[in-house]
Amino acid sequence: MSLTSFLPAPTQLSQDQLEAEERLRAQKSYSTALVSSRREPPPYGHRKGWVPRSLEDFGDGGAFPEIHVAQFPLEMGRKKKTSNALAVQVDAEGKIKYDAIARQGQNKDKVVFSKYTDLLPKEVLNEDTPELQKPDEEAVKELTEKTRAALDKQVSQKIAAAMPVRAADKQAPAQYIRYTPSQQGVAFNSGAKQRVIRMVEMQKDPMEPPRFKINKKIPRGPPSPPAPVMHSPSRKMTVKEQQEWKIPPCISNWKNAKGYTIPLDKRLAADGRGLQTVHINENFAKLAEALYIADRKAREAVEMRAQVEKKMAQKEKEKKEEKLRELAQMARDRRAGIKSHGDKGGEDGEARERDEIRHERRKERQHDRNISRAAPDKRSKLQRDQDRDISELIALGVPNPRSASEAQYDQRLFNQSKGMDSGFAGGEDETYNVYDQPFRGGRDMASNIYRPSKNIDKDTYTDDFDTLMQNNRFVPDKEFSGADHGQRREGPVQFEEDPFGLDKFLEEAKQHGGSKRPSTSGRSKDDYHDKKRRKE
Amino acid sequence: LLQDVQKHSVHTLVFRSLKRTHDMFVSDHAKSVAMDDESFKIKMDVKLKADYGAVLHMPVLKEGKDRVSQLPGSLHQIYTQPGVALTADTKMHRNPSEGGIHSMALALPPSQSLMEGGGTRNSSLMRKAPTMPKPQWHPPWKLFRVISGHLGWVRSIAVEPGNQWFVTGSADRTIKIWDLASGKLKLSLTGHISTVRGVAVSSRSPYLFSCGEDKQVKCWDLEYNKVIRHYHGHLSAVYDLDLHPTIDVLVTCSRDATARVWDIRTKANVHTLTGHTNTVATVRCQAAEPQIITGSHDSTIRLWDLIAGKTRATLTNHKKSVRTIVQHPRQYTFASGSADNIKQWMFPDGNFIQNLSGHNAIINTLAVNSDGVLVSGADNGTIHMWDWRTGYNFQRIHAAVQPGSLDSESGIFACMFDHSESRLITAEADKTIKVYKEDDMATEESHPINWKPEILKRKRF
Repeated sequence: MSLTSFLPAPTQLSQDQLEAEERLRAQKSYSTALVSSRREPPPYGHRKGWVPRSLEDFGDGGAFPEIHVAQFPLEMGRKKKTSNALAVQVDAEGKIKYDAIARQGQNKDKVVFSKYTDLLPKEVLNEDTPELQKPDEEAVKELTEKTRAALDKQVSQKIAAAMPVRAADKQAPAQYIRYTPSQQGVAFNSGAKQRVIRMVEMQKDPMEPPRFKINKKIPRGPPSPPAPVMHSPSRKMTVKEQQEWKIPPCISNWKNAKGYTIPLDKRLAADGRGLQTVHINENFAKLAEALYIADRKAREAVEMRAQVEKKMAQKEKEKKEEKLRELAQMARDRRAGIKSHGDKGGEDGEARERDEIRHERRKERQHDRNISRAAPDKRSKLQRDQDRDISELIALGVPNPRSASEAQYDQRLFNQSKGMDSGFAGGEDETYNVYDQPFRGGRDMASNIYRPSKNIDKDTYTDDFDTLMQNNRFVPDKEFSGADHGQRREGPVQFEEDPFGLDKFLEEAKQHGGSKRPSTSGRSKDDYHDKKRRKE
Repeated sequence: LLQDVQKHSVHTLVFRSLKRTHDMFVSDHAKSVAMDDESFKIKMDVKLKADYGAVLHMPVLKEGKDRVSQLPGSLHQIYTQPGVALTADTKMHRNPSEGGIHSMALALPPSQSLMEGGGTRNSSLMRKAPTMPKPQWHPPWKLFRVISGHLGWVRSIAVEPGNQWFVTGSADRTIKIWDLASGKLKLSLTGHISTVRGVAVSSRSPYLFSCGEDKQVKCWDLEYNKVIRHYHGHLSAVYDLDLHPTIDVLVTCSRDATARVWDIRTKANVHTLTGHTNTVATVRCQAAEPQIITGSHDSTIRLWDLIAGKTRATLTNHKKSVRTIVQHPRQYTFASGSADNIKQWMFPDGNFIQNLSGHNAIINTLAVNSDGVLVSGADNGTIHMWDWRTGYNFQRIHAAVQPGSLDSESGIFACMFDHSESRLITAEADKTIKVYKEDDMATEESHPINWKPEILKRKRF
């Protein structure tokens, strides 16, 4: 159907065809078997000056002993540089096996995926292809049995190692083998064609300890070559992506193991304190304001109340004063009335003046007495100064009440009966003899001794001091066993009842006037009495 | 229900049309255009007349025609019909040129298909191009019960084989057994001294197995509600455990980068599966090869040979830690979940099938239904529901947290379908257990499939 079928045959050959013909003719002329051009070595005797250089020069045989040159027929005898380079292998179709590297130490039929086509997805068009079906029951069962047998063997080995020694198990040692050797002849095997061999298992000594040491640790052998990686290499990290994954170093607020000194801004950086704006609830301000307002209002109220009370008190006071004034007026009037009866005119004015002065002075004295009677607490100035401590008097600047005589002499100069050597206190340095008299005189000494007034505790305890002393609050419900019960103490030291009968004795002594026995015990008895009396 | 006309960018529209074109022509992609006899004849006539009119009078050799028919469609149009003198030679020479024969042999299959294609070109347009399969419709799931009672995160769930009750292990160090139908608490077991990370109920014996962050693996006898065995050997927190369906063997995985295989009865550590370089987060067992699958925080999945205790295959496709693995109940496939995406794989060698991307969160748990519903639960509290076959995400749920919990306390640590596959039970970080069921009121019209698959399938992962 092609074009050539319609066309007539060419009469002349084209160049290609000519060449093809030439080739065919050349082939035809020689025999069909491969002709290898050999270079034979020159025959023995004609080898003078000839040196075999290449492999082909050796022809069929080996080295030439008469040629004194190092010769390596078939490359035998050369020092080989051992390399563990894998020789290039070619598979059945003529293609180079590039996965020989991946299969180096393993079985030839181990499954190793190394080709690009192993990566590509296969389309599963038909679900019923035999490849996708599970192997049938018998195959699975057979595999199971094989596996079970192998595993049992393993397990029994492991367990037997741990179990105690038992009696040696007998293997039926009766295996006979008929063997036909390959080298046959009259000389071999004394002419017999076959041999019968009896195989017996060697007896294992049940008490034998293990023969080999297995506690030696030797490094592991090289692993099987790694499987070729069947995916594209991971994509390169861009700088931007790397920056995204950067984690800042941890600066703890609690621990600093290496004792690094880290600037404050880095220390607080992780906290994020500077980044947040602090939001305070406005109710705080409201509360503060409300409190302030309430406080002010309360103060105002209190003030007002105080003022009102003051006014009321003032009014009361005024009223009282009025009353008193009235009373005083009445009294004065009564007195004046009485006085006016006795008062006769006609005496001279001096007598009257003197009378008036006397009258006034008497009134003043009465007034003072009245005041002191009325308000014993209100002391006069003099009394106040009497009670003050001397440092207070100095601080207040109260003048020295010493009488200002013309010349004040050192009192130590007077009334001295000692001779000329006296006066310097014998050269003693440590006496304090700057002053001769105390500053404010000894007459105040009596007042400087602490003498508590009866009302000194009135402020602290008001008027109920005695009732407070008498109270019964601090009596325990249950007392300690062995403590003596009941006795209320009437003072810091409480004396027992007279155990030795000394009181009686003293009384007797007293009755007898002390004449019988002027003993020291009387004194002690007196002291004893004194104490008791003081106590009472 | 009519869908509003969605406004798309030019880019999207272009892609859409690209997709449809691709679908239409994908079956005949490599084939050339169909030949029409009529037009071909006309073309030939015209061409012959125009270009070769001068030589048409010459005779055409019959032999050449045969030879041509024997070497159809050779790309370099060597006129192998030379002058009469050389025909015999060339015939001879044809046989020894093995290279030529080789090239012919290689060229033959496509050309044969071309021939076939040519023959069946008429029916090619009727035959549908293999389009991408449409996802199966699943009813959406809704929350129907919240069970609270735990005092800490609920970390693990297991459902009893008889579907009567389920067990949860929690961060408050207790294991609680709840009735499945009513959600009431049946029993509380204490004994662990730290978070209980994994629970499993045995289907072959009345045992419950639990493992915790206190390195303990306990076997509880459910008839007496007491611990009867401890499996001692892990050096660090034990994160997950699983029971073998047919052999009495327990597999646990731990933060010490190993998984250990224990014989249940004798408590012996049969195998220690080393090879991972980081915490092993999840382990699953099955009866067929490979019997143990582990996923680890070093983002690899290892398929193990239980007999030898060695790795069978290592799958390094994930970029982030693999936290969960789940096997399909019917198919011979499994899925693994990680923070980058969820991948589906085939057994027994772990051939990669497809990616389920869209759940951009740390995936803590996966669960699969027999209907082909895959559930993925994430650390941020979202649940995505996928169609297993196509990878279509048909629902996203983010359940509200228990009142009293913060919003950030939403996360799903474990989820499991019950054995009737009608209820999904999830263990969450707000200390509750949530139970979901399918919404019966929904139909295909009320919740239509809105699937926009990727056109460029051959993407690098």
